[in-house]
Amino acid sequence: MRAVPLPRFLSSVKLGYLNVVNHLLAFPIIPVMVAVLLQVLELGPDELIAHWRSLGIDTIHALCTIFTVVVVATASFMSRPRPVYLVDHACFRPPRTFRVPFATFFEHASFMPFFDEKSVRFQVRILESSGLGEETCLPLANRCIPPCPSMEAACAEARLVIFSAIDELIAKTGLKPRDVDILVVNCSLFSPTPSLSAMIVNKYKMRSNIMSFNLSGMGCSAGLISIDLARSLLQAHPNSYALVVSTEIITPNFYAGNERSMLLPNCLFRMGAAAVLLSNSRREEDRAKYRLLHVVRTHEGADDRAYRCVYEEEDGEDNSGISLSKELMAVAGEALRANITAVGPLVLPVTEQLLFLASLVARRLLGPRGGKPYIPDFKRAFEHLCIHAGGRAVIDELQRSLGLPPALVEASRMTLHRFGNTSSSSLWYELAYIEAKGRMRRGDRVWMIGFGSGFKCNSAVWRCLRTPKAPVDGPWSDCIHRYPVHVPDMVKLL
Amino acid sequence: MDLLWTISTALLLCSLLSILWKESDRRRNRNCYLLDFVCYKPSDDRKLSTELCSDIIARNKRLSVPDYKFLLKAVVNSGISEETYGPRSIIEGREECPTHDDCVDEVDDCMYRTLDQLFLRTGVSPIDVDVLVVNVSMFAPSPSLTSRIVNRYSMREDVKTFSLAGMGCSASPIAIDLVNNIFKTRKRTLAVVVTSESIAPNWYCGTDKSMMLGNCLFRSGGCSFMLTNDPSLRHRAKMSLKCLVRAHIGADDDAYSCAIQKEDDEGRVGFHLSKSLPKAAVRAFAENLQRLAPKVLPVGELALYAVRGLRHRLWRSKEAKTDAATAARVNFKSGVDHFCLHTGGAAVIDAVGRALGLAKYDVEPARMTLHRWGNTSASSLWYVLGYMEAKKRLRRKDRVLMLSFGAGFKCNSCLWEVLRDLNDGGAWEDCIRAYPPQTLVNPFMEKFRWVKEA
Repeated sequence: MRAVPLPRFLSSVKLGYLNVVNHLLAFPIIPVMVAVLLQVLELGPDELIAHWRSLGIDTIHALCTIFTVVVVATASFMSRPRPVYLVDHACFRPPRTFRVPFATFFEHASFMPFFDEKSVRFQVRILESSGLGEETCLPLANRCIPPCPSMEAACAEARLVIFSAIDELIAKTGLKPRDVDILVVNCSLFSPTPSLSAMIVNKYKMRSNIMSFNLSGMGCSAGLISIDLARSLLQAHPNSYALVVSTEIITPNFYAGNERSMLLPNCLFRMGAAAVLLSNSRREEDRAKYRLLHVVRTHEGADDRAYRCVYEEEDGEDNSGISLSKELMAVAGEALRANITAVGPLVLPVTEQLLFLASLVARRLLGPRGGKPYIPDFKRAFEHLCIHAGGRAVIDELQRSLGLPPALVEASRMTLHRFGNTSSSSLWYELAYIEAKGRMRRGDRVWMIGFGSGFKCNSAVWRCLRTPKAPVDGPWSDCIHRYPVHVPDMVKLL
Repeated sequence: MDLLWTISTALLLCSLLSILWKESDRRRNRNCYLLDFVCYKPSDDRKLSTELCSDIIARNKRLSVPDYKFLLKAVVNSGISEETYGPRSIIEGREECPTHDDCVDEVDDCMYRTLDQLFLRTGVSPIDVDVLVVNVSMFAPSPSLTSRIVNRYSMREDVKTFSLAGMGCSASPIAIDLVNNIFKTRKRTLAVVVTSESIAPNWYCGTDKSMMLGNCLFRSGGCSFMLTNDPSLRHRAKMSLKCLVRAHIGADDDAYSCAIQKEDDEGRVGFHLSKSLPKAAVRAFAENLQRLAPKVLPVGELALYAVRGLRHRLWRSKEAKTDAATAARVNFKSGVDHFCLHTGGAAVIDAVGRALGLAKYDVEPARMTLHRWGNTSASSLWYVLGYMEAKKRLRRKDRVLMLSFGAGFKCNSCLWEVLRDLNDGGAWEDCIRAYPPQTLVNPFMEKFRWVKEA
């Protein structure tokens, strides 16, 4: 059972080989069929009837053959994995009273007894170039001086963000909570017992045979992990509904120390939550917004550098926080390359794949003289892109390494500006932006990319099934007319 | 004509055969086999004797004398021996302010020791693992516990990891459910599940009585086990999963809040166990059994139960019958040979045993596990299974029922069929000969007799 992991190059070749072999029958059959068809078209109708009669097929044989073909076709059709539809999604809309403009953030930081002056200036400098706007929101507990991160406050925030998102989803879809068969909740930094999934079951009085799962500690890419889990469960249970809730609870995670690498989350993380309804029921085919095509997960945890780049630990003064290493961008780039190698063959047109393979072979055989690595043109595979709004640097790095035009990263930048880094739910705010802007059309493909601690890079590919009707109700309803805004590289505060 | 006839018949046969083959292939790959399991045995310097427990409790200067006596009484009467284990940070006096490293070290020790053993015994390489699930209810660091394992064992890039948290003492069947569902969508998949609980960060330092019991009963423990749906590994597997039932009565407010983590009046976080917990447990239990019984019991027993129920309805009995009592009229022993009951406490084990109509022999594994290991939360079922295996009770074709309760409120169960005679000692290797002991009475009963009399 011993297996050795293939180097990346050979994995690509292997994938290509697998594709060819999987469709081996198509290779000889298609030319033969084309030839026969051409021959048949050349003959006239009388000749065709004469040929048919000469075969001597009587009714019984004809019926048997037709019966066989129909039965086999039906059996194959019925045993296909049912497609997974996204019926609709909803995001938490933070009330204006939760806003934290830059001035508030600066003032509060200055008054905190545990921050020294250097830390305050550092946090403000981060905020200046963060790409965040003035309307991002923090929970009430974090706006006390000093913050009061009690369990009660964390539960209150959880109830507020999660129930708002689910209530909105119910209003949009007419979902009855008792119809939910699968419930997957992910919240990385807050996991009370009973879990948040039990809290939802309690509030909405869900059924006793619900399949509920609560994922925790899985970072900003956990939203797509939940989608992956929901998809597996839906494939095992036909005619079902899955409710996926992604959030991050900010209250318990304020860092009250002076370690620079651990101050970044204070500056970037903001309140948010998303609720998504998935289904594989045939009934939903008529009104579902998207269809899930692929989910690809990549885990770089085997590499120590990647593993330690987002790490929860205590500083010298026993204050707990999440430290972000300086190598984060490089690690994110590598994780993305690994993920793309797996996603590429599933979504790229054959021409791009061949070019990528040729470039890979050339570099392998000729070394650096084989030319620069060919970066597949992902614009030919997707119409829209949702990149986790982790921070301005992450979006810049991805734009550069994938060669993306500004229009494709606009949703990510604007989400970061309006809502901040809402962790695993940010991808849903971005999708809502694209819909609110009226850019989503039937047939469009969307690529969601999430990054998170571990270090993981997860992708999901969706196809839009119907053009959303304007005006689209969502978290952007009250402000979409102001977007896009120009986000300056630096907003001078001090 | 003959040729045509032959071709049509051949076509028909081929199509029928292909449908049959596809169906049988699907069925073969839907099985969930337990390859092996390894229970955690901490080092002996972490043993928590009653005397040490009493010292740790006494360190909490906020406790009044009646509170101290109440706690000591709970410890002495708990049915837990002097051999159970606690976290190092609590033994060394850091129960009120454990560091992040204390918590991580506690879980790491459990995960890595059991996984090292598991990979060694099964001969499986970590790189072959396709799915990794970890469930630890009360501790979820970043990166997740699954990422810690992926890093330590250099697992593959495309390994599917799931880190469950907050799911309580009944999380083991939940993890199995997750893996089982993935098995239905992928062939030849290998999954590793680690189940444990984190005690170091969850010691309650206040004076609320409803939150203090956790301190007395929970002990360090854990288990790693390997599951697969690859039919070629069946000959090496210990058990095969037959069915799994999950019942969640969280919709009821009392049930949801009967076992809940919250702050006391002074703002200290603890695990509150309310007086309505037994009632919630009974309801969840009945809910689970209602769905489990048709899957587990032979047709004859179900028919008998239906007849009894009909008779009861037609000739209404004046006696009030609770759900639990009704369940007692179903003889679960007709469909199940061994019972792995969650070791929530002596009272819980006895109550469940009575409800299922079990004899002393049937509840012995659970009582002995409580005695030797304490309440190890989600992993307790595996220690109970380990006892049965060490006692050589598990024979081919035997059916084993795992039943657990947990916060939410949930009651989860799963039925396994033993595939071959099992006789591995596991974590019980060095002490199984001493079980069952002559007496379960705490040796310090004499010393602390004043507690009983208070």
